[in-house]
Amino acid sequence: MNLITVAMFAAILLISLGITAWAARRTRTTVDFYAAGKGLTAAQNGFALAGDWCSAAAFLGFTGLTALYGMDGALYAVGPLVAFCTVLFLIAEPLRNTGTYTIGDVIMYRMRRPPALAAAIVGTIVINLAYLIPQMAGAGLLVKLLFGFRYDVSVVLVGLGMIIYVAVGGMLATSWVQIIKAVLMLSAGAIILFLALAGVGFDPLVFFASAEAKAGPSFLLPGNLLKNSFDEVSLGLGYMLGLAGLPHVMTRFYTVPDATTARRSVIWVMFLAGAFFACTTIFGLAAVHYLGPEALRVGNPGGNLTLPLLAQYLGGGKDTVGGQLMLGFVSAVAVATILAVVAGLTLATSGAVANDLYVNLFKKGKVEEHQQVLVARITSVLVGAIATLLGILAEGVNVAVLVILAICIAASANFPVLVLSLFWRRFNTGGVIGGMALGLISSVGLALIGPAYLGANAIWPLVNPTVVAFPLGILGAVFGSLLAGRNHEHEKRFGEVTFRIQTGLRSNHS
Amino acid sequence: MGDAVKLSAAQVASDAWIEGVESPEFKTLIDAKQRSIVPMIVIYVVGYLGLSVLAGFGRGILGTKVLGAVNLGFALIAGNYVMSWILAVVYARISANRHDPLVKVVVNKVHASGGGR
Repeated sequence: MNLITVAMFAAILLISLGITAWAARRTRTTVDFYAAGKGLTAAQNGFALAGDWCSAAAFLGFTGLTALYGMDGALYAVGPLVAFCTVLFLIAEPLRNTGTYTIGDVIMYRMRRPPALAAAIVGTIVINLAYLIPQMAGAGLLVKLLFGFRYDVSVVLVGLGMIIYVAVGGMLATSWVQIIKAVLMLSAGAIILFLALAGVGFDPLVFFASAEAKAGPSFLLPGNLLKNSFDEVSLGLGYMLGLAGLPHVMTRFYTVPDATTARRSVIWVMFLAGAFFACTTIFGLAAVHYLGPEALRVGNPGGNLTLPLLAQYLGGGKDTVGGQLMLGFVSAVAVATILAVVAGLTLATSGAVANDLYVNLFKKGKVEEHQQVLVARITSVLVGAIATLLGILAEGVNVAVLVILAICIAASANFPVLVLSLFWRRFNTGGVIGGMALGLISSVGLALIGPAYLGANAIWPLVNPTVVAFPLGILGAVFGSLLAGRNHEHEKRFGEVTFRIQTGLRSNHS
Repeated sequence: MGDAVKLSAAQVASDAWIEGVESPEFKTLIDAKQRSIVPMIVIYVVGYLGLSVLAGFGRGILGTKVLGAVNLGFALIAGNYVMSWILAVVYARISANRHDPLVKVVVNKVHASGGGR
């Protein structure tokens, strides 16, 4: 156990618990609990978005993938930035103008039919669980590695942390945990970048030449990780459309006062997270240059320890204070990263269960304010407990398929439904159900018979089925709408919807 | 900013939106938005999906060396970062300078015609 890691992590934990206590006193109403009182600034929400969107798969994963597989790792890293173009041009402002706390709010506002809301709830919960379980399993492995606890104890500790943040401090605490994590992550990135470049006279081209010389001529080509050509296309399509369908990131746009601030927060995250993603590519190549490809293959499952190893090397090596310090810092940031992401996921899932399912679907909105907050808190404890349990059960199971699945469902089911709800006059409840059903079933079905889950026995060749599932989701949405038939009153109301999407003005009967 | 906060919280009388939606000012807003957003969508979809398709089907092309050991693939990846950042800044400027004032005109008109509460 690295004492520096423990000390740094204890400091992060104390600060975040202090923030939670502070946030708890400011969290009384539903708008406080789900949306931090809609009072965040563009910069605050931009940092929180960066904290929310960069999971451990980004922080540790992209560096590792680049170090092991060359260009495919760099392709993994650039997509999550470009994805924000979709969000910026089509989603962020309309979402802020039409919804209150969840994506379900937007669908319900447009459709006003319980089955449409129910479909949106299913989409949100499936995506969030598919995203949450690998995070919990990853957290278990990481904490086990860093502190020497048993796997299940590690998962429970992470679960307890996230439940306290969310249930006690709501969105305000969750946002600040994400902001702090983003600042730590970016600081760690800046330090590593400086040290890595200092070693080669600030000429990053050296890394490319050195990586190619050490890891072979095909290292800098695509296809080392994603062997199937269509998987490269699926990766791009999945990112481009999937981010906009991820409920835990999209709910962040409800924490700001208006659409203008939502837009400006996207600009912030694009520079903050984008710069970090670009750095992971440099880090991956630097790791090959400094450590050599052989050292990176030993005891480094999925490449996830590449960044800590690189940091340790740049700090001075294994047996130096500098090396220990850097390793401790990066490891502590990795745990903070996981905590920030699982807290956001737990909160978004609670919103779908407590706000969409209980208050709006079962009780038709007729629940008193203080009771809604209570229900939301209880739900977040339950969601957190279930996620912890599933995380423990996931030990040893190949959970990588779930991350791909979450993005694939988000792109193939949630994204078509959300975009068509906002922009297509004839889209209706039949379309919501058709799109959600076909997008969801094809994503899950194809992922489960693909190589990510079945390995060499796969019946279906693609790891990531987005390239097929997304067209099917669109098809389901369009045919569902046409089959459900036209409803002129519903289509007439689209004018009102458009007006609100563009101006944020609500008519008083909606 | 303060104005926008008040406006987004405001509600308008039940049918005021009809007048707003059919006003020439609203059509001007929608046209202006489409004129700027559609080309930007085309640019990033072609730029990014093009890279993804080449990564799958044009592996030889992406392997062409352009600068030392750096090949066309990494150059295009760098290009995608730059493209996203430029588009973000351009969109933010167009929105603030052109779209936001148009939104304000529409909203003020609805309020002036007695729709506001």
